[in-house]
Amino acid sequence: MKSPLSISNASKSFAGQLAVNDVSFTVNPGEIIGFLGPNGAGKTTTLRMALGLIKPDSGSISLFGAPPGAHAFGRIGFLPEERGLYKKQTAREAIAHLARLNGMKGKAAFRRADEMLDRYGLSDAKRKKNKDMSKGMAQKVQLLAAIAHDPEFCILDEPFSGLDPVNQQVLESIVRELADGGRTIIFSTHVMEHAERLCDRIILMSGGHKVFDGTTQAALDKAPRRLVIASSHDALVETVTPFAQSVSRGDDGAYHLIMATAAETHTLLEACVNGGIKLSRFEPKPQSLHEAFVAMVGEDVTRTMTLGKGGAS
Amino acid sequence: MSERLNMRRAMLIARRDYLGYIKTWGFWISFFLPFILGGLMLLATRLDLDFEPARYEAILDDTGLHKAAVTAQYETAYAEREASVFRELGAVMLSDTQANELEVILSTGDTAAATAYLNAKTPGLGDQIKLPERKLIFVEPPSADIEMLKEMLRSGKTVRHEGEDVALNGVLHIKLNNEEGQAQVDYWSPQINAFELPNIAKSYFRDLAETRYLESGALNRQALDASRNGALVYGAFNPEKVSVGDTGQEVTNLDRLPYFVAGVMAMVLWLAVFSGAYMLLTSMLEEKLNKLLEMMLATTHFGEIILGKLIGVAALTITAMLPYILIGIAAVIGAVLFGDPEQSAALKQAFTWKMAVFFPIFLVLGYLFYGALFIAMGALAESMQDAQTITTPIVMILTICVLIVPMGIKNPDSTLLILASWFPLSAPFAAIARLPSDPPFWELALSAGFLALLSVGVVMLAGRVFRYGVLSGAGVKGALDWVKRKLFRRKVS
Repeated sequence: MKSPLSISNASKSFAGQLAVNDVSFTVNPGEIIGFLGPNGAGKTTTLRMALGLIKPDSGSISLFGAPPGAHAFGRIGFLPEERGLYKKQTAREAIAHLARLNGMKGKAAFRRADEMLDRYGLSDAKRKKNKDMSKGMAQKVQLLAAIAHDPEFCILDEPFSGLDPVNQQVLESIVRELADGGRTIIFSTHVMEHAERLCDRIILMSGGHKVFDGTTQAALDKAPRRLVIASSHDALVETVTPFAQSVSRGDDGAYHLIMATAAETHTLLEACVNGGIKLSRFEPKPQSLHEAFVAMVGEDVTRTMTLGKGGAS
Repeated sequence: MSERLNMRRAMLIARRDYLGYIKTWGFWISFFLPFILGGLMLLATRLDLDFEPARYEAILDDTGLHKAAVTAQYETAYAEREASVFRELGAVMLSDTQANELEVILSTGDTAAATAYLNAKTPGLGDQIKLPERKLIFVEPPSADIEMLKEMLRSGKTVRHEGEDVALNGVLHIKLNNEEGQAQVDYWSPQINAFELPNIAKSYFRDLAETRYLESGALNRQALDASRNGALVYGAFNPEKVSVGDTGQEVTNLDRLPYFVAGVMAMVLWLAVFSGAYMLLTSMLEEKLNKLLEMMLATTHFGEIILGKLIGVAALTITAMLPYILIGIAAVIGAVLFGDPEQSAALKQAFTWKMAVFFPIFLVLGYLFYGALFIAMGALAESMQDAQTITTPIVMILTICVLIVPMGIKNPDSTLLILASWFPLSAPFAAIARLPSDPPFWELALSAGFLALLSVGVVMLAGRVFRYGVLSGAGVKGALDWVKRKLFRRKVS
């Protein structure tokens, strides 16, 4: 089966400003990829190049085994970062229109629009004009319009941005359903939690470069491992220090450790037991993508990602 | 645009654009408004509704010399207004010979005979005439005392006229100003903008002064009028005209008809281009501002979007103009089939095969050319203000193109008009305006071919600008930078 997308050494600059610099990656069929990065990282430009909306200055793009073009129409579901609908169209008209452009027949497209609106709690919005819908509703309608034709490959640019937590949950479930149906998905986001929960694979962009490309677990492994440990025993600090990059004492009297690269928590625990240190707390902290990315690109660069807000990148 | 375009997708875009406008209230309001207004006017005529009530005015003539003459002056003016209604209808519906016959009848002041004449020529035509209403009715002054009359005007008291009580609206008081017998006219009325009776009085006294002056030199007004009317026998002739009937080679209104038809057709074309191009601009701008284009471009070729928009808005323009087109066609066919033979011949002469061939060609090319231009500008604009700024030069050129049309009627062979028919921005309108002077076929074909080439070029350029403007988020500055980079190989930061 051909790879839905393969980007090879793609670079793009606007008015002399390098937006994407020598980026390469391949999207394998059935993957859910989180395309992460702070503002200005080059995510949107890369996705636009992937769709053939803009041409790379150098490098090559392959969409379903060929340069982006008409052969991919109808096989892709694309949700752009900046949202919009025809103000005077109703929700079902908007979904059906896009579905028809993507190859569905008229009646089937309207039937599908109705089904989707019913399924995702937008039955009341069927005949509502887009201008009369809330931002969240309109955003959901646009996502449904992007996927109504049941595309093989979904490219979703910041699908969660601007949605309230409830609608973010709905959107997550839509993405999961698409994935369960064997569809390939790549979505960009600022919000790490979504990527952590949904993705098989993470691609991290920063400053136009690809900084990381691997499984979600591999990305998490880049994050420092933290451990909170507490004991009244005097030898605690002396015992744990060889296992830690850093040790600091919290207000509660517990010690906060960042584990050394090669150290394992279970060997640290063994050392405590062997030293007769009775522990009142032993809490390994779960790694987060946020910390992984801080480790990879730095605190300043990562800050915009955790906020979950931002403009075009 | 040269790549394989999927017509199904283009037609879906056309359909959406068409329905997007058709489904709005605004479209149907502007569609039906002329008919609603026309219907209301017709209804008002049929019901004989009086929107401006007649004024009842009295003439108090202390001199006892002028009252009858002033009244007669009004009657003459009113009779002339009646005659002009017949005359105007005759100019449109009758041949020159018939119009002359009608004029002879009108000179007798017999409107009933004029109505009968029109009915004889076109059944029912005369009966359609609605004569102007009398808005000034003279009443006898209820008192010879001006002070009492002023009080009546102030208090709104009524006077008796032909068995009815009517409000007195004004009094014209004619009195002697001095011992030499010079008249003075005072007009009393609460309606300070009522000028009809004072104007009649002024006109009468000026004429009277002229007559007295002429008489002082043993001359008379009738002789002066006769002398003025007989001063010149004027005729316009066309040496190229094949002599037909009594008029010979004299130029008649029917000879001028093809020029007016060409002028009207050029204006229709201009209206279609102007309204269509503007709709394309706003439609493109809406999609750009709504960020819809990016989503559409992931599933549609940009050429399909441009083509779809051009087709959709063309259909919309035709729909908006359809009633007028149908009425126009019906009127022309009716006039050709059932009208006066002279008139029918003139109309046939106006709608030559060249008009039949080149009008649709220039209509399509003009629309394509300007439509693509406006699409490109819509793609570059980032707000309505932006769009207005960018389109101003083109709108100004389009406006100048309208000025060419009257020139085509007056002087279809002028160098400027010939040049304008070669210049792509004015070619569609100028070429149509030139048609009655029968320009050589090769000139028209070459002009159309040149415009076609340029239209293809503009459509392709619009595609590039569209891609660049929409996808790179570039505005006018971005486009200029692109031109500098591509055309002048200049580095732009």
